[in-house]
Amino acid sequence: MRVNPNMVPDILADLQQSQTAVNTALQEVATGKSVNVPSDNPAAAAAMVQNTIETANVDQYTQNVNSTLSMLQTADSSMGSVVNSLTQAISLGTEGANGTTNATDLQAIATQVQGILESVVAQANTSYQGAYLFGGTKTSSAPYTASSSSSSGYAYNGNNDVNSVAVGDDMNVQVNLPGSQVFSNSNTDVLGSLSTLVSALQSGNPTQIKSATSAITTALNYVTEQRVFYGNAESQLNLQETSLQQETVNLTSQQSSLVDVDEAQAATDLSQAETADNAAEAAAAKVLPNTLLNYLVPPQ
Amino acid sequence: MPDLIAMGGLNTSLSIGMQALEVSEGALNATSNNIANSNTPGYTREIPEISEYPENVISGAVTGGGVTLNGLRSVRDELLNLQIQQQTSAQSSADTESSALQQVQTYFSSTGNDIASAFSTFSSSLAQLSASPSSGAAQAGVMSNGKNLAQAFNAAANGLTTEQSAMNTQVADTVGQINSLTEQIAQLNGQVHQLTAAGQDGGTVEDQRDELVQQLSQLTGISVTQSNDGEVITTGNGTPLVMGDQSYSLQTTTGSDGMQHVLDSNGTDITSTIQGGTLGGSIQTRDQVIPSYLKQLNTLASQFASAFNAAQAKGFDSNGNAGQNFFSVPANPAGAAAGISVSITDPSQLAISSDGSAGSDGNVANLSAALTNTLPSGQTPSQAYANLVFQVGNDVSNSSSQSTAIGQNILQLTNQQNSVSGVSIDEETTNLIRYQTAYEAAARIVSTIQQLGTVTLDMGSAQSY
Repeated sequence: MRVNPNMVPDILADLQQSQTAVNTALQEVATGKSVNVPSDNPAAAAAMVQNTIETANVDQYTQNVNSTLSMLQTADSSMGSVVNSLTQAISLGTEGANGTTNATDLQAIATQVQGILESVVAQANTSYQGAYLFGGTKTSSAPYTASSSSSSGYAYNGNNDVNSVAVGDDMNVQVNLPGSQVFSNSNTDVLGSLSTLVSALQSGNPTQIKSATSAITTALNYVTEQRVFYGNAESQLNLQETSLQQETVNLTSQQSSLVDVDEAQAATDLSQAETADNAAEAAAAKVLPNTLLNYLVPPQ
Repeated sequence: MPDLIAMGGLNTSLSIGMQALEVSEGALNATSNNIANSNTPGYTREIPEISEYPENVISGAVTGGGVTLNGLRSVRDELLNLQIQQQTSAQSSADTESSALQQVQTYFSSTGNDIASAFSTFSSSLAQLSASPSSGAAQAGVMSNGKNLAQAFNAAANGLTTEQSAMNTQVADTVGQINSLTEQIAQLNGQVHQLTAAGQDGGTVEDQRDELVQQLSQLTGISVTQSNDGEVITTGNGTPLVMGDQSYSLQTTTGSDGMQHVLDSNGTDITSTIQGGTLGGSIQTRDQVIPSYLKQLNTLASQFASAFNAAQAKGFDSNGNAGQNFFSVPANPAGAAAGISVSITDPSQLAISSDGSAGSDGNVANLSAALTNTLPSGQTPSQAYANLVFQVGNDVSNSSSQSTAIGQNILQLTNQQNSVSGVSIDEETTNLIRYQTAYEAAARIVSTIQQLGTVTLDMGSAQSY
């Protein structure tokens, strides 16, 4: 059988193939990625769409967890101060109710309790980065302002709503309790009970002082119960932070298995491709000029 | 009459020597032409057809009649040519699709400006908003990331449409090239027919025609058959392009869809039946592949915009008003991806609040859910987009690996064709030596006979003295 005398197309195809391999290997080494365009690996490129979105979300959820934690800690410490204030008010009330305190001292105690009331109101008006923490979702104005029409002397300007922060896909954590629930609940009115104690102390009636003091004890228990909410939310967020860290690790490793190149492998591929390319070129250079003419003695 | 036999013998040898010289010259001619055309595309090597001349019978004695050159014959394999033409059409179609989609897929690559990146920043800015609903920066972030998302959709849709119109231009250009080729082929066909009718080898004219048919097969899928009048070339679907020495030109006209349609010589629209070649590839990409991407992109843009707008409507903006549409999309879904834009003019119009108070983030969860909930298409936005990315990537990868595979095939066929028709310098050099030697030997016969003739004449004159 006659052999194909024209080796050029074969040699060109080989050279093109070996050069394509060099280019691919070079691009992988240079970019550090095995998937630069979707056609490099359609399935990986499609999976990366979800990965890109998830990664950005997880980053933001982690930031949300951190900023929410600081906010919850601020609210929690305000609640702690309120608890201390109420404890102090109870001991003052007990002191005023024992019947041996004279009227002047009762007035002094009443002034002290009034001071406690004001400090509790100040805590209820705590803000974090410009947003009031106990106004429900009305975070732009102070929840409690002095009001002569209110029995406690302070009116609630907030609402009864709560906010939730996204800290995961489908995971929203409630981050606030409205003041109307914590401080001026119609059943257990913290501010109201303090103001009742002030009036009772001013009137000097031991029975009234006693009942007002016991109302504050109830309020203290109530506030302590409510405070648990913040503790729970904090521990929930701490757990979520750990799981977000894990998710970040997972997403990064998924990304790396999808589109990143194994550097050592890529370097080896490159050097192999170069060797193959050199061999193809050397073979072409050797074979192409070979004809019978090289061996014929030119006529004299 | 022994004298006659002797003289007849010398004359016969002389004429045989002359014939041998002529045949060697003819053979050398073929060799030199082969070497000269060794790199000519489409050239088919020629071999001298040499045969014995009828023998002489003189007075019952049989002597060799010498040699004769019947002509030069091109060595070709028509079947291989046909196979190469078919594969060329298929490869050229895959190449056209592949190179167009290479352009398209850059819009779906992870560049930072692509739709996936825009979705991810939009989504994370909404998550940020849920932590700080009253922060102006967080609100502005959502609005500007929403704009980026809309622009990413616009860019992808525009990229697709640009490629589509590039394909459309190519359709018109290719039809022009096809017409000019079929005209030339018809002309050569006529010449081949005349030559073969006269019992001659088509030779170089046939080579030229085959080369043009080969070029034509790059432009569109064709079917070639032989008839009494020469080759008949039709499109794969049977629309005549060349019949004998007559060519039938295709026409283009702008259809109701604004695209170039291909008509046969009778004015019938054959656009959808054209397959193979640059023309088939461009039509396929323009009418099937890109529209399918555009459709998915438009569905995603319009359904996502509606879902997000519905989420906006559930809440109240920072001014206490009911949420208005965040995205605006053209009423016609076909232009959704190209026309999607952010319709709110101020970040305060984001419907963050669920109760109308400025500090509430109650509606942010609804807004975020629009990105993760299933759309009417049955997929979440990211799934729908991921599917599209997969499809684009898969199409590019398929068309280019198809082209590579066919390329291997063509290489094999070309090798086979070359092994039949290609010029081998070694072979021609060997032939050159053979014909040179034969020529030298024939020349020696002529000069020897001439000397013998002189001797014979001298002998005669010596006798007369």
